[in-house]
Amino acid sequence: MSTQKTEDSTERFGYVFNLLSDDRPGIVAGVSSAINSIGGNIEACSQTVLNRYFTIIMTVTLDYPWDCKELGEKILTEGRLKGCQISVRPAVIYPGGRVENRPDTFVITAFGRDRNGIVSAFSRYLAEKDVNIIDLYGNRTGKEEFLLISQVEVDARHDIQNLQLDLEGIGNELGFTVKLQHNNIFVATNRLRLER
Amino acid sequence: MIQTDEILTTIRMLHSEHLDVRAVTLALNLNDCASPTVDQMVKKVRHKIMRFAGRLVDTCDEIGGKYGIPVTNKRIAISPASILLSGHNTRGALELAHALDQAARDCRVDFVGGFSALVQKGISAGDQVVLDSLPEVLSQTRKVCSSINAASRKAGINVDALHQLGHIIRDVAEADSANRGFAAAKLVVFANIPEDNPFMAGAYMGIGEPEAVVNIGVSGPGVVDSALRRRIALAQETGKKLTLADLAEEIKLSSFRVTRVGELIGREVADILNIAFGIVDLSLAPTPTIGDSIGEIINTLGISRIGAPGSTAAIAMLNDAVKKGGLFASSSVGGLSGAFIPVSEDAALADAVRQKHLCIEKLEAMTSVCSVGLDMILIPGETPPATIAAMMADEMAIGVINNKTTATRLIPVPGAKAGDWVDFGGLFGKSPVMEVRNVDASEDFVHFGGRIPAPLQSLGN
Repeated sequence: MSTQKTEDSTERFGYVFNLLSDDRPGIVAGVSSAINSIGGNIEACSQTVLNRYFTIIMTVTLDYPWDCKELGEKILTEGRLKGCQISVRPAVIYPGGRVENRPDTFVITAFGRDRNGIVSAFSRYLAEKDVNIIDLYGNRTGKEEFLLISQVEVDARHDIQNLQLDLEGIGNELGFTVKLQHNNIFVATNRLRLER
Repeated sequence: MIQTDEILTTIRMLHSEHLDVRAVTLALNLNDCASPTVDQMVKKVRHKIMRFAGRLVDTCDEIGGKYGIPVTNKRIAISPASILLSGHNTRGALELAHALDQAARDCRVDFVGGFSALVQKGISAGDQVVLDSLPEVLSQTRKVCSSINAASRKAGINVDALHQLGHIIRDVAEADSANRGFAAAKLVVFANIPEDNPFMAGAYMGIGEPEAVVNIGVSGPGVVDSALRRRIALAQETGKKLTLADLAEEIKLSSFRVTRVGELIGREVADILNIAFGIVDLSLAPTPTIGDSIGEIINTLGISRIGAPGSTAAIAMLNDAVKKGGLFASSSVGGLSGAFIPVSEDAALADAVRQKHLCIEKLEAMTSVCSVGLDMILIPGETPPATIAAMMADEMAIGVINNKTTATRLIPVPGAKAGDWVDFGGLFGKSPVMEVRNVDASEDFVHFGGRIPAPLQSLGN
């Protein structure tokens, strides 16, 4: 049995799981009821629907340790989530979210004619440079056009201009227009309240 | 975390609609450079400008790169040169102008503004030195700009100053006849001049400002026009009825975003230079590029010929909506903050002049509801100085009575007559020389001279 205690002083056991399904009403209700039925608490969750497929990632804490496979099966059964796939693993839960200083967030946007290997080309470059992707969105915007938006963490040791030039270079090879811009520009132009 | 649709909205504005920051202007008080000798004065001036503005261009480029938004123009505005020139003569004025020109080149800025005098109530010795030196200063330097405040709500209109300026503007243009009088494009005559305007040729640093301050001019009209066109196209697709109030709302939204971009970049540039952040100027300043025109916005708002009835109402709505969006976006709005209608700098306006849809009188009417006045108007080289003075007096009257800033930038093109095309190149654009009607009919009025008293509205206490 593999478990990991939370950083909280109370004896709780943390798990992270991911569930994939065709999109339909009732999936969130099923998952949350199942967690509730075994005394679990949802610490954080994020869900999205893409091309009519549903996925959710959740961190939960439980009163006692579970086998990951059994826990997954329990959630599917209790939640009546027939046809859903689930993957579970133990996790360290950071109460209230991570508090350490995070690097600045930048946004990469890439737009061009769709072809194989777009996400791979950009993500391989970012991995080489040790740049962490924290959010990724990709979609065909027209019949043949593909739009990629990636939010990445760039720490102070990186030269932004060099990253921009490299990314634009990769874009040129693929026939894509690529921009790397600091996140604050998107905050400033969209959010009513600004923090100074 | 920022949402995908928010990123997409901003990206569209940045890349398809050519959003930029139109001007970052570092304003600098040079009063402590006053010296008994001209040599000492110009040395101090150059040293101070380099100390404060030496890193301006690199910093703007660095911050612009970080956000993926170009800063199109970097400028310096100084406290009025008339203060430095008290006790000196026109030779000293010319030396100062050359020193400013060189400092601007060394800092790699586009222009340095503030070769200025405030003469709304009277002309001091230093002011007179500035006025007398303008033909040489503006024709012999490339980057030095001048502004003269000749009227205010509190003081009225100094017609003696306008009379002089009528002659000076002719002399400036003739001194630069090799460039078809272009030097006159670097001279603006104001009523109610703002102390924190970042736009040239009228930028100067007012006496109520800090030692140094960074002021920002936001992006141009292209962003607003694209947003309006997209909104109209969407309504046509969906068959939904669109009213002028809906279009005003669209302008407000664009203005909000554009202002936020300006303030973000301005504050960061100011932080890095360790200089106070001043204001965001909401003015929409056109360029001769297609798609960056106030005239095109008037067209988009449904006036097919600029100058036709409705033009004044359309630009009034635009001007007001821009302010409303910008004011909500920032608590540091200032400068001129209105839509500019500089004829040669706006291809659609210049074309409306060519087609005789737009005349000086209609432009004057439009300036009563927008910024900033009869701007970049090419007039025949032989236009009498008294007529030029009276044209300025009319524009000053609009500003003084309506408590707004108005200005003129008139260019009497040497040897040119109405209808001739003149091309100044670059951002200054091209335009036909406009017809000035009823010349030689204002001499007696101007020759009375003196000052038109401050209006009733000046007594607000």
